[in-house]
Amino acid sequence: MYIKGVGMTKFDYSEKAWWQFAYEAAIDALQDAKMNISQIDAIIFTGMSSASGGEHQTHKVSFLSELFKTNVPIIETPSVCGGGGVALYTALHLSGFNNVLVLSGEKIVDNKSEVVTDYILSAAERAIEQEEGMLFPAQNALVWQNYSRKYGATLDDLSLIAYKNHEFAALNPKAYFYNKFFDLEKIKNSPEVASPFRLMDCSLSVNGGAAVIVSKEKTDVEVIGSGFATDHILTFEREDLTHFKATKLAAEKAFTEAKITPKDIDVAEIHDAFTSVELFSYEDLGFAEEGKGAELIRSGKISKGGEMPINPSGGLKAKGHPISVTGLAQVYEIVNQLRGKCEERQVKDASTGLTHNIGGAGGSVTVHIFKKVNN
Amino acid sequence: MSFYECDKCKRTWQHPIQICPYCLSSLNKVKSNKVKVFAVSKINIPTLKHPNVPYYALILEDENGHKWAQKSFKEYNVNDEIEFEKDENAVAIVKTKYDLLDATSTVIEHLGGLKASNVLIIPDLSSPDHAYLKENTSSQFLGAIIDYLLKNNIKDIKVACQSFNEIPVEFSAQKSGLLDVCTKRGIIPFDLAKTNFVQKGNLEISEEVLNADLVLNLAMCKIGKAEASLNLFKILKKENYSSLKYLSSEKEIISELVTALPNIISIGEAETVQRSDRVSTYLGIILASKNAQKIDRVFNEIVEASKLPELTEDVDLNDIKTIGRDIKEVKYKAELY
Repeated sequence: MYIKGVGMTKFDYSEKAWWQFAYEAAIDALQDAKMNISQIDAIIFTGMSSASGGEHQTHKVSFLSELFKTNVPIIETPSVCGGGGVALYTALHLSGFNNVLVLSGEKIVDNKSEVVTDYILSAAERAIEQEEGMLFPAQNALVWQNYSRKYGATLDDLSLIAYKNHEFAALNPKAYFYNKFFDLEKIKNSPEVASPFRLMDCSLSVNGGAAVIVSKEKTDVEVIGSGFATDHILTFEREDLTHFKATKLAAEKAFTEAKITPKDIDVAEIHDAFTSVELFSYEDLGFAEEGKGAELIRSGKISKGGEMPINPSGGLKAKGHPISVTGLAQVYEIVNQLRGKCEERQVKDASTGLTHNIGGAGGSVTVHIFKKVNN
Repeated sequence: MSFYECDKCKRTWQHPIQICPYCLSSLNKVKSNKVKVFAVSKINIPTLKHPNVPYYALILEDENGHKWAQKSFKEYNVNDEIEFEKDENAVAIVKTKYDLLDATSTVIEHLGGLKASNVLIIPDLSSPDHAYLKENTSSQFLGAIIDYLLKNNIKDIKVACQSFNEIPVEFSAQKSGLLDVCTKRGIIPFDLAKTNFVQKGNLEISEEVLNADLVLNLAMCKIGKAEASLNLFKILKKENYSSLKYLSSEKEIISELVTALPNIISIGEAETVQRSDRVSTYLGIILASKNAQKIDRVFNEIVEASKLPELTEDVDLNDIKTIGRDIKEVKYKAELY
């Protein structure tokens, strides 16, 4: 399957409804593909809806039918932060459609942070995790503690990841932190959120929309690998408390299908909901050996101007993380990297790219591999 | 903490499921005996559900390597051991986590267990409403209590209640599902109003109550109400209660009642609780104590009731020891949601 068009809104706190973000992204993708909605024969939508005080729409497929004045099949595939990747995976594995619009729009930040954080916590198990105050920063901080105890990586390594992603986001006009620069000391000295995580180890919840048009027709970007794996919602019941098994499984599938190895990847968008997740995902995705993720960030190979830049969009950390939209925004970045359209943050000669999207604390993970098609 | 294990496949669940989806065998319940702290994170960001910070997100681990999450306001270090507390004079607080039988068993163990060969259960039956409205003791909870007694070889179990309004108690028992729960377990519930009453001081108490080794007073906790105490009045003759109320305060009546009946355990059902506007909200706990007023006081503290019920006004929270979970850990301003 091929990518015919991609679209994305600016990630910010603008006062728009979820569907306005989605609509804007869809039009952007249609314009990119030089298509109109009548040429779309199915839509896959993913979204978490709004936090309290906003619009909680539970029949989005019909809402979208109204917006697009279409009667084609519209399927909703919610999977919280991993929704975008799951929607893409679904589109790629559907048969019988020529052009599928994969779409997401979220207005998740519409209230004070206590409300938004509580709403996002609905992605954790209710009686066993939510009620025990196991916020996602806490879950990930506890996984990180195990990782760092076992492999010796430090908070300074995580600071380098935050610094790298902010450096990229400053060059991305669609990123929340566009044109905003953070020095390393400011990152290191940010306040503690969930020990040992500091504020700058956490991604930023924002609003936004993104869209991808998947097509059977040959275009300039082909999807050559697609993997999806799930894992138990109870993070601490899993066998391995230092990595996300679902990332390893999804990556194995995607690389096997693509018939390439991690060494063949030129650019990647990794799900850095927390800096620690980016670090151990280097290993889960095969970019570093087990326990050697910190060496990779220290080496500079994945930073701006490095051999294989990771998160040139700024990642969830600094571009922003509008929950379900994120997985599709990653595709937007990789497709534009392969097309050579990323200007100041362009990865030189990028021809193969990867996206890695996670729902919850490693509960649903997709990995997709894209290749530039030379006509 | 309980886990559900498949002997054949060696898989473990925290959720109370009965059948292994791999080999379709029945699962065994495995209880944790030794519990230690595996990891700790100090949380500094408030959320609606957890507004008081800092608190500690603990990962606990038992002797079998099973791990689970627990909130705490007490600071622990990795490898600290956590003891299972027992105190018959305390108010025990336990999280239900989908398994009312397990929660019932744990909350009673916190009070030192049961020593009785015949037990009278007094469910809370206020009106002929479905269980989800949280007016009455839920059928699941009553079922769990009876199953717990049967599991502990207590075969002589009676279930009885009484209506203090014009609606016959049978109507409420049927609509709430309590009648069905009892009959499925071979118990025929009865109306306490139709029993003999014995004079004890100013009180006329049902003979069935006085003949029981133990009375289990089941209260459906409601915000701003003293449901455990109020349900206890149902063991009195209706006319006796009406005249006592005319002459004395409810505080005086309950005080005399407790003195007359030493063998009572009150259990407050608070998995989902009713707010003052009758909307119900999830709380996920049960409470137990030998003192109904203490349960009512602790419950209303947990939900941050805007006004304490009169029956609990004189109950000093500082005089109450809580075990199992701390009040702060389970606090939830339920009227907000």
